[in-house]
Amino acid sequence: MAIEKITDTRQMLHWPGHMETDYIYTLGIACEKFFIEIKENGRILGAKCKHCNYVFVPPKLYCEKCFAKLAEWVDLGIQGVVHTFTVAHIDINGTELKDPEIYALIKFNGAEGGLVHKLGEVRPSQVRIGMKVEAVFKPQPNRKGNINDIKYFKPRE
Amino acid sequence: MREVAIVGVGCTGFKSVTPEISYKEMMFEAATRAYQDAGNINPRKDIDAFISVAEDYWEGFSIFDEFVPDQLGAVLRHLFTVSGDSIIGLATAYMLIKTGYFNTVALESHGKPSDILTLHDIVSFAMDPILNRPLGGHPFYVAGMEMNRFLCTTGNTRDQCAMIVAKNKGNALSNAFAAYGANVDVEDVLNSDMQFYPLKKIEISKPADGGIVIILASDKVATKLNENPVWIKGVGWASETPSLETRCWSKAIYARLAAEMAYKKAGIMTPSVEVDFAEVDDLFSYKELQHMEALKLCRSGEAGKLTEEGITQLDGYLPINPSGGMLGMGWPLEAAGLQRLQEVVLQLRGQAGNRQLSDVEIGVAQSWRGIPTATGAVAVLSNYKG
Repeated sequence: MAIEKITDTRQMLHWPGHMETDYIYTLGIACEKFFIEIKENGRILGAKCKHCNYVFVPPKLYCEKCFAKLAEWVDLGIQGVVHTFTVAHIDINGTELKDPEIYALIKFNGAEGGLVHKLGEVRPSQVRIGMKVEAVFKPQPNRKGNINDIKYFKPRE
Repeated sequence: MREVAIVGVGCTGFKSVTPEISYKEMMFEAATRAYQDAGNINPRKDIDAFISVAEDYWEGFSIFDEFVPDQLGAVLRHLFTVSGDSIIGLATAYMLIKTGYFNTVALESHGKPSDILTLHDIVSFAMDPILNRPLGGHPFYVAGMEMNRFLCTTGNTRDQCAMIVAKNKGNALSNAFAAYGANVDVEDVLNSDMQFYPLKKIEISKPADGGIVIILASDKVATKLNENPVWIKGVGWASETPSLETRCWSKAIYARLAAEMAYKKAGIMTPSVEVDFAEVDDLFSYKELQHMEALKLCRSGEAGKLTEEGITQLDGYLPINPSGGMLGMGWPLEAAGLQRLQEVVLQLRGQAGNRQLSDVEIGVAQSWRGIPTATGAVAVLSNYKG
């Protein structure tokens, strides 16, 4: 019995459909401040809940634990730790990647959230959970105020 | 207190492609079988309310609910759509009957992923547009990250995940509804392509087309419709944060909370002893282990060992996914939960054919909404009203 079966029915009679849906997503107050700080100063900020003593990265305007409004900002530096990672060998279309991509959740000292990003300047076989990494930013003039202003995280010396 | 039973199930079976029928005809077939199974009832007069479970993006329609009534016999009747997993739909149907306003409810869910040419673009579109989507990539990298953390934290092993694939695809060989039954062993799994380290290609459930309709009834009418009703003892559902950045990466908290809610309602104090078997979400191999632990069917870190010892096989004392799970039956999108639930019903009725378990009285069905969600639901069923 074949394990792989045909999943493309395009050979049958059908009517093709296409959903054209364009959006813009407003960053909001908390994320706007977060990304402007990355763009202009290359700093990663967290939002602190003074009730729960919980620092959110990425920052939010509200505490998901106690529902309080957050107003205090904390500079978390650019260094963090790999909480978990994976090595992706295919792209979204299922095509094999010539250079596999490493995705990781990076956690920062003093905060319990983190950032999902790629790792660079490291071979997949060298990556470990618990590895210390730091953010590598694009040159300041090229930053646009989004998550890709960070090129990737690289192992810390 | 008014009790709720399942008195009818109807299923089209699951296939990798279904070019011969439309999604409406698929729903019609499942509904026709379910009405027949519930004592050959006529939906035009015997069903009080209808619920469908569907998501617009999976269906390729805006406001998909409007396309639902005709093929269920629900035109000019009381109908709404639940957007979520189909066990959340079951919980909704259960509560409708509990209100006392309705005695019979038909619950429908289906998936026709072979109609979706860009399935993973839809999954990707479910991710945070500001923090996650700009990174690009195949959204199942989230599963690779979760598997890595889960194994690292709990001590379950890579090979034990491979055993899940062998067990479930093997179980599916005895299930005529299953699309992906096969004889594979651990070595076959380990030789499969690495896709999202440490997750291999064969450990990812493949999409499958199919539809299921379930008929629920109050105890007032249940035994009139079916001599062997299967009773819903408890339902539960819960969501953890959708944020990839702040959620727990090792445990399925959503499933734990959903299970605690359902067990409390069902009066189950020690699930590992009282539950005879379970159908759990296995969209990815490691998810079966993680969900077993969340459902308190074993202690944290023990699910892999139980699998290795054969305890979760058909002849073990705690069979998990006797249907073959989604690794064996295929992933029917929002119908995944009803696919789990249907097997629990068939087992409790003694109608599971070659894979029938012996002496089962309490079974659990659990669902998860898949990547990138942290929402799950649980139903506890029994063949005793008790």
